[in-house]
Amino acid sequence: MHPLLTHWRALAAYLAAWGLAGPALAALLQALDVAPLGRAMPWTIPLCAVLAFVVLAVYHPCRSRPFGGTRWATALGYRAGLVAVLAAALLGAAAGWDAAGSLLGHPGGWVGLTHRGLVLLAAALLGLLTLSVLAHDLLITSQRAHAAAAREAQARLLARDMELQLLRLQIDPHFLFNSLNSISALTSLDPPAARAMAIDLAQFFRQTLALAGRERIRLADELGLVEHYLAIEGQRLGDKLRFAIDAPADTQDALLPPLTLQPLAENALKHGLRPRDDGGLLQLQALVRDGWLHLAVRNPVPATPSDEGGLGHGLRNLRERLAAQYGSRARVHWGATAEGFAVEITLPLEMSEITP
Amino acid sequence: MTLRALIADDEPLARRLLREYLLPHADVSVAAEADNGLDAARAITDLKPDLVFLDIQMPRLSGLEVLALTGRRDGVIFTTAYDQHAMQAFELHAVDYLLKPYTQARFDAALARGRRLLGQAAPGLEPLIAPGPVLTRVLVRDGSGAGMQVLAVDAIDYIEAQADQVAFHSVGREHLKTQRISELEAQLDPARFVRVHRSFIINLAALQGLEKTDSDAHVARMKNGKRIPVSRRGYERLRAAL
Repeated sequence: MHPLLTHWRALAAYLAAWGLAGPALAALLQALDVAPLGRAMPWTIPLCAVLAFVVLAVYHPCRSRPFGGTRWATALGYRAGLVAVLAAALLGAAAGWDAAGSLLGHPGGWVGLTHRGLVLLAAALLGLLTLSVLAHDLLITSQRAHAAAAREAQARLLARDMELQLLRLQIDPHFLFNSLNSISALTSLDPPAARAMAIDLAQFFRQTLALAGRERIRLADELGLVEHYLAIEGQRLGDKLRFAIDAPADTQDALLPPLTLQPLAENALKHGLRPRDDGGLLQLQALVRDGWLHLAVRNPVPATPSDEGGLGHGLRNLRERLAAQYGSRARVHWGATAEGFAVEITLPLEMSEITP
Repeated sequence: MTLRALIADDEPLARRLLREYLLPHADVSVAAEADNGLDAARAITDLKPDLVFLDIQMPRLSGLEVLALTGRRDGVIFTTAYDQHAMQAFELHAVDYLLKPYTQARFDAALARGRRLLGQAAPGLEPLIAPGPVLTRVLVRDGSGAGMQVLAVDAIDYIEAQADQVAFHSVGREHLKTQRISELEAQLDPARFVRVHRSFIINLAALQGLEKTDSDAHVARMKNGKRIPVSRRGYERLRAAL
């Protein structure tokens, strides 16, 4: 379909321009003493109406044989033939309708085309159609460039997201082996706790693996992952780790990209609670308000902060990842607070339609 | 003879497991537990345990930093879950270490080896602990009490020799360490620290200017107002460094 047909405002403006061109051409013919207005109009108005559509009709032929798609000379020859055939047909129709005027009681035709008039009309039609072909070729080239750029951007985005997913799916060996060591310790100290921890570890890895390639997950699923993660870390860190998750019922079905919160919990432990002698409280909050999903992760930090380089990198990655998916509608803020450190995320609210 | 052991690991279950594995070894008693590197360093200095079970990744100070700062070289059994860098270094220098999770049998073997080498510096340990020739932090005692802390060398204004120990002057406070000033001088970056006198090393960043005394000698005026005597050789070193 011609792109103009999908933009009704542009189409209306285009048709209005041709609608004015009919009377304007008639006025010109009157000024040149070719024909009075009353006789020129019945000829110019239908002519302009037909032209309006024929000029657009070159879009499809041009698109079917784009420059660069076939041999250059072939494409050019095709266009020359197209312009010639259309111009001849229009010229024939215009002359025919003019002649038809004499049958309708206007001897000599509506405007009485002379030989000179026919040559001028032929030249005007050839020029107009050539211009139309050129304009459409430009349009087609720019459309293709846009489509290619969009495809490339999409591919880049996908590639980066895949890379991120892969990175996340790589098992952190330090986390895994320390967890197994804790399970080993629990087997004699507290067998039920050893079993619970083994199951938490299995669930955490299984759920992480299941995220591969998923664009959005429910907040409830992300929090489930976080809870398994924190249950494991809770065993490893002992009473150093306390956590509170506040996610009201109306937030549970909200959608977000997978692994948005879990890495933040991991950061909070690594840079906040673990280096502190007495640990602290990790808070995760979710809130739905006015069509937005608000998420916050808050944690205390040690008096002398450890190297923050890795932390900033992870947060910038998250910001880029969310920006790639939501554009300017996603916001990620982080910084020191009176209690320690906070990361706040705002996403446009999308709700899952499938109830689990 | 009863052996006294220190267990240093930030994870409570890892410490519990070590205690459990020590149960069959009735002649080993646990003298202390530490859940961070600084406490481990304090315990090593204060209690002088025979054996140290030392985790590599700990808050405040890593296991290797603990050894670097305390000078402890013998009776150390490393434990680690995964630290590629340290593990490669251990393999390279044939240092024994326990890889978590480990079995009682593997633990017993490491303990037997530890006993055999008791009192001897573990071979291959030195290059691991002092990877850089330049000292960046020192473990010191507070001038007032027995508390220990880690001091960044950048924060030191000047160092003064006092009998068998050295005093570090940093932001108006004094910290002590049992060490010879010449030994310390060799460990510090010579571009930033200059031995201006038999008893003094100054941090060039804390130096305000040089003054001449009536007797044609020199005195270094520090930014905190303190004046430090500069010997003839010290003056030459200072001029070379500046």
